Amino acid sequence: MAHTSVGSPEQYNYAIVKKFAIMALVWGVLGMSVGTYIASELAFPFLNFDIPYITFGRLRPVHTTLVIFGFGGSALFATSYYIVQRTCQTRLWSDFLANFTFYGWQVGVAGGAISYMLGYSQGREYAEFEWPLDLAIAVVWVSYFLVYVQTLRRRSQPHIYVANWFFMAFILATALLHIFNNLAVPVGLFTLKSYSLFSGAQDAMTQWWYGHNAVGFFLTAAFLGMMYYFVPKQAGRPVYSYRLSIIHFWALIFLYMWVGTHHLHWTAIPDWTSTLAATFSILLLMPSWGGMINGIMTLSGAWDKLRTDPIMLFLTTSLAFYGMSTFEGPMMALKSVNALSHYTDWTVGHVHSGALGWVAMVSFGSFYHMIPRLYDTKIYSVKLVYVHFWLATIGIVLYITSMWVSGIGQGLLLRAFDDYGNLAYTFVESVSFMHIPLVVRALGGAFFVSGILTMAFNITMTITAAKREQAAIEAKIAAKMANA
Amino acid sequence: MAEAWHWITQLGNSKIVALLLFFGTFVGILWYVFTNKQRSERLETYKYMPFQDDEDGDTENKAVTDDERN
Amino acid sequence: MMKHESIETNAGLLIVLTLFVISIGGLVEIVPLFYINDTVEEVKTAEGHDAVRPYTPLEQAGRDIYIREGCYLCHSQMIRPFRDEALRYGHYSLAAESKYGHPFQWGSKRTGPDLARVGDKYSNDWHVQHLKAPRSVVPESIMPNYPWLLENDLKYSGIAENLKALKMTGVPYSLSQEEYDANVARFGAEVADTLDINNAEANLMAQAAKGNFDGNPNRLTEMDALVAYLQVLGTMVDFNQYDESYFVNFR
Repeated sequence: MAHTSVGSPEQYNYAIVKKFAIMALVWGVLGMSVGTYIASELAFPFLNFDIPYITFGRLRPVHTTLVIFGFGGSALFATSYYIVQRTCQTRLWSDFLANFTFYGWQVGVAGGAISYMLGYSQGREYAEFEWPLDLAIAVVWVSYFLVYVQTLRRRSQPHIYVANWFFMAFILATALLHIFNNLAVPVGLFTLKSYSLFSGAQDAMTQWWYGHNAVGFFLTAAFLGMMYYFVPKQAGRPVYSYRLSIIHFWALIFLYMWVGTHHLHWTAIPDWTSTLAATFSILLLMPSWGGMINGIMTLSGAWDKLRTDPIMLFLTTSLAFYGMSTFEGPMMALKSVNALSHYTDWTVGHVHSGALGWVAMVSFGSFYHMIPRLYDTKIYSVKLVYVHFWLATIGIVLYITSMWVSGIGQGLLLRAFDDYGNLAYTFVESVSFMHIPLVVRALGGAFFVSGILTMAFNITMTITAAKREQAAIEAKIAAKMANA
Repeated sequence: MAEAWHWITQLGNSKIVALLLFFGTFVGILWYVFTNKQRSERLETYKYMPFQDDEDGDTENKAVTDDERN
Repeated sequence: MMKHESIETNAGLLIVLTLFVISIGGLVEIVPLFYINDTVEEVKTAEGHDAVRPYTPLEQAGRDIYIREGCYLCHSQMIRPFRDEALRYGHYSLAAESKYGHPFQWGSKRTGPDLARVGDKYSNDWHVQHLKAPRSVVPESIMPNYPWLLENDLKYSGIAENLKALKMTGVPYSLSQEEYDANVARFGAEVADTLDINNAEANLMAQAAKGNFDGNPNRLTEMDALVAYLQVLGTMVDFNQYDESYFVNFR
């Protein structure tokens, strides 16, 4: 087995991994561009052009859906299918179902984006898909679960590598969250409109139980699975401590589910739920940092790789941002800090330090490692990987700092009083204050988009070159056969 | 014994019961993972699993240096 | 004895345990809210009827437009118990005030101000002008223009179906005489009439004609519905009737 070629179709199903990886980049470019566009709409409202389909309110769910489910989701399908095959040393179970998950997922994402622009939305953040799409996604997800478990069951050795545990928890939790949060009564079989089953306080609790765990399991646990495979592989040395990874796993999946209510501090829900969520948010810092240390220390003794290997730079920086945002998160979950930060751009900045700094960066690093291996070739240009890294990093720094200024600034302006105890500023004065930070944020987004465009170019060139090589080899073989 | 059972079944004490249970489980996992030298060694061998697929660890390292030369 | 080793080597067991571990947190926090009556305050009018009532057909149609346009992404409807928010927006929001909100629209971001008590604060004309061209009334505003709300006729032929779906989720709209009578006892006859699904379309048109929300009595536009919805927000509870300490019990 050790002598079979990497890309041999008999051994692994790489075709499905390739498809998902390419679509992840396509959705990434689209979703991040939409993000930059809506950021510009906030800075320069004329960009709404009085066209219903592209106003901020309709494009915002398009942005979140394309980046979270389109880019993030496809990247997770790609890497999880790659990792489960390579760590179990067996071929992915059922090509048919695997392909079904691919087409189903892409149709779901595209359908969602189009339906929001047309005005169909369930009106709950990150769960805007209307009911027929929800049902379709549930079917795709069950297929994903089946493919994954069946592949695990056919593994060639007894132990299941820890990366797969994280992917398993991600698949299970996402199924649970998706189903319970999308309980709704459709208006009719032939309309897209539905009303959520729960209302008011109960609906809010369910929604943020979903919303936060979408972050916890979709955008964290699953990407940790990615980290536990690609960081050791790229560093060429095993993970720092396997035992720490076991503790990391159980503590993380247990604690995450408790903290959703910190999105509802000071609202009309009972205080005890809010206090409980704040407490668990602080506790969550421990497994988060345990995992980050485990990842970064994998490099211990090989720190020089940071100077010579841009892929390692992506992976390590992603862990640093993971550490930073998992510190910022618990801090913002404190009720006193939340009183200022909630409802402001600080939250938006926090989400993006996780989403751009951690999720996107670890995916980029993993893709630069994985895609050349899928095509049995080398990356087209290492220099462009460096260019991408710096564009992305500058973009994130501009994004986060401008959102700190805008968010903390707005929070302080709105709670300021004059000497007579009256409000010192009107709401709209805080809006004009935010203009410059909003412009800088859009600029940061533009940097990040140029980064992923650089990557898309680099990967396209890599794949074209690989296909050309492949064709040349095949021609040679054909010529030889003809001569013989 | 009956008294202790009564205390546990009181809903008001559930927070303390839950805390003890979860903390106990957590200590249990810690104990399981980090005591017993033999088990520790067994667990740590699993970290080499990503390197057991068709390319071995050495070619991985070489792949990196190859990239550098580009 | 079960060993961790058996978890590591058995996919089924790993799945079951993971499911168990991830279920605990959600169950502990969410399930009690469906059983504890204290979560939602009881608020009555001076006549002893429920103060918070389901939305009328026209208001509900406006709420659907509010969701369609994604207003909740920039406007919250949840006032927190702080001094600055009390001065700026009014009394902090009660859980009861959103108990007929399917889905809830508390929001998570204030790119624009909170709307929980925007009702009756501005005239209908102001709302129409502001929605059509926000910068014509608030020069620094960054809100998009919504001129099509005035141009689009309100599609209300399906309103009864919408209310029926809402009824299935538990909102007390009435279909039978029995349900209607129960609503009369609970909300008073005037409100109960607006909750009768059998007359939904007629009620919708009557309210629009009477309110003339979009300033053009000859047309029933989406603007009529949206402004009707905005004008009812936060107006149902009369806070003068209550001692402040009453609401604290529910927190």
